[in-house]
Amino acid sequence: MEQTAGKPIPPRDPNHVMQLHRLGSFHQSRLSFMRILLRRLEGEGWTFDRPVFDINAKGVGRAVYSAHGPDRSYSLVAFANDLPPEKRSDRVIATEWDATFTLFDGVPTTEDLDRLADNVPKQEAGRVSEKELSLSRANRSVRLWDHVVDCLSKGQQPDRQKVADVGYLMRTTAVYGSGKFGAADREMTADRPEFLAPFQVEMLSVFLTRAFVMDLVEHMAKMRAPDTAVPLDPDLRRRFGIGNSTGLGMAPFLLNHPALLNNWIGAREEALSRIRSLETAHATEVETFRRFALRARLHAEEWTSEHPVQIEKLAALRKDMATLLAHLDSLDLTADMPWNRLWLWAEGALSVEGQELLASLLMEPYPHLVDGMATCMAADEPATWRINGAMPLEELRALVKDIYGWALDIDWTAREAQARVWYTSEAKLEPRLGERFEEDLDAYEQPLCPGRDAARMHADLQASNEATVAGFLMRHPEHRHVARRAQIAGRLPYAEIRDNTIDASVMPIDMLRLKLSFFGACHFDPRSDRWLRINMYQHAPFPHELGDRSGDDWAYPFLKEGVV
Amino acid sequence: MSWSLNEIETLSRKAARGAGLSWGLAEEAGKAARWLTAAGLPGPQVLADLLTRNDGADYETLCPMEAEEDAWVAKGGTLCPLISGAVLCDNAQRLGAGELTLGRTAAPMLLLPYLDAAAQQCGTALTIRWNGTAITLGDSAQTSGQGLDAALAEGITITAGTSDQTGTALQKQTRGDMPAEVAKTLTAFAERTYAPETEASRLSGAGAGLTDND
Repeated sequence: MEQTAGKPIPPRDPNHVMQLHRLGSFHQSRLSFMRILLRRLEGEGWTFDRPVFDINAKGVGRAVYSAHGPDRSYSLVAFANDLPPEKRSDRVIATEWDATFTLFDGVPTTEDLDRLADNVPKQEAGRVSEKELSLSRANRSVRLWDHVVDCLSKGQQPDRQKVADVGYLMRTTAVYGSGKFGAADREMTADRPEFLAPFQVEMLSVFLTRAFVMDLVEHMAKMRAPDTAVPLDPDLRRRFGIGNSTGLGMAPFLLNHPALLNNWIGAREEALSRIRSLETAHATEVETFRRFALRARLHAEEWTSEHPVQIEKLAALRKDMATLLAHLDSLDLTADMPWNRLWLWAEGALSVEGQELLASLLMEPYPHLVDGMATCMAADEPATWRINGAMPLEELRALVKDIYGWALDIDWTAREAQARVWYTSEAKLEPRLGERFEEDLDAYEQPLCPGRDAARMHADLQASNEATVAGFLMRHPEHRHVARRAQIAGRLPYAEIRDNTIDASVMPIDMLRLKLSFFGACHFDPRSDRWLRINMYQHAPFPHELGDRSGDDWAYPFLKEGVV
Repeated sequence: MSWSLNEIETLSRKAARGAGLSWGLAEEAGKAARWLTAAGLPGPQVLADLLTRNDGADYETLCPMEAEEDAWVAKGGTLCPLISGAVLCDNAQRLGAGELTLGRTAAPMLLLPYLDAAAQQCGTALTIRWNGTAITLGDSAQTSGQGLDAALAEGITITAGTSDQTGTALQKQTRGDMPAEVAKTLTAFAERTYAPETEASRLSGAGAGLTDND
């Protein structure tokens, strides 16, 4: 029996949580958008079909994958391409891809498909309409693709180790949603129950993309050798996720959507606080937790990276998992606020990676305390966006000290403190990070350094005699952007990253990982300080398997038979 | 061409920044163009025209000052609606409590989104009038008169409450049409915010590092 009498444990302090090294150590959880989606698809008994699959021996053609829910249908429209190797690049500046996609609102007609065939393969250079909800593309992992086609066409299964080393056959390199390149605005679909939680359009698109990619690889093997080719073994097939290569574009998103960021982190912190506040735990809940910890250890073992920072973090994480599992054996977790005791121990015993993995693991035994929070993760951004001009200036001064106190302690005249500049390049509007003192970029700086901007505003706030925010901003329009941020973060405690985003030592991949962890990605593999690769939906059921296999329990690798 | 509201907002925000407005003001200009489009009004057109006219003008000459009580004018002679709109919105409580007049103002249509936000903030309908045109903002927004797209207006009044003229309700739109020349003008302003391409920035700015074809 759960009791939440006693003193509830409050959510963690934003000054502690909202630091980049911690946000950059987040892991997927029950609140990840992929898991929210698959729970719904399974729970509502969505059905799936493939009305079009017209792809030739060179791998060129089109396919349609439809998902039918209680009220509406959606279709992934896929265009497969025979891409010359020299054109394969995951950068935004690429112009051709192995496959391109859009998520269509409904089931497309042949006319729709012809219109999309003229536009979707061009991606940013094409144009879609309000009937389309997303636009995306993917490139093959050449090293694994060729191996799998080769094996299957000879009637053999691919090498398990090779599959484990890469983890996917294609990686998406951008999944555009909400109104981009002519697509429907999020506002047009946001009130549909299936899209209430964030990024459900994009997650559905990727889920169907994975099904397409696996069908395509089997199709290519069959086209090569119709007499000998075999399909993938179903268990091995589920070990393939969809990769993703993500660059700096995700970082501005987090800073440009403070209310949304607050609601993501706030939901996670509320879940953690509820679980830490439990007076007791049932033996079955403790056992569920332990099983997930074993699976998380397996995930940590399979997770590889060549990046020195991640190599170090992974070594610490593997050690953390051993420490945690050993500690569990010595602990009675059924009484005396067990999870809070475990948490307080972890704060001293585990690395930041390990602590944040524990936060995710603690949610696993408690779907009834956690899953409902999914509905709180979207944001009514307009409701918190307007500046409150009537606020006394003294109050804004206090907000700045509270939210940006860390930034007021920084010596902003030091070169290291503002060594970097966020800017947008002329070429395909690629978001980039430059060196302020080596390149002439100041004039193009994007407002993605709230700490520095707040410190600048603080100096003018100290000197101002104005009584209200309205009067102050009339004289200082240059502070309007950060004044808005401060007011939003004053209302929403997790809205602001409380760290220096332009410091010489900043690792933008921390911001990317934060966002991707909420998507539900795993196997974060930084390829530099500015881009990384991940895996999505690895071990998840395919659309036709949902119902027979859980839409919720797949995000950690499964234990081998006999492991206890 | 049919544009999403998100595209119109993004392009307008960048254009306003490119034309010299601070980031905070530019963000609100983007929302304003979007709001007008969603209300069936030619937001991007009016914005493109205004930015062209005010290109290079100093904030100090465009921003409002209180010439006498409850009467705002621009030092430079003509108020910019993007700046005045933001200031009006910041003073929402004051608008809900009385009447305010504005001296000569460029493209007054651009004030509407800000007044709509102000009406939400102060919880009262607000009515703005110029040259026989009256627009009520708030829960039951409506317009009357022909001068909505005036390039300039004098003697603008903003009062709490609804208009007594019978008007037409604004038509909610989910997409926008933008003439090609308007898109071109806004794009040209927006391009000022993009850093010129250099080989060094191409290689390092997005983090080249390891191969991405494997």
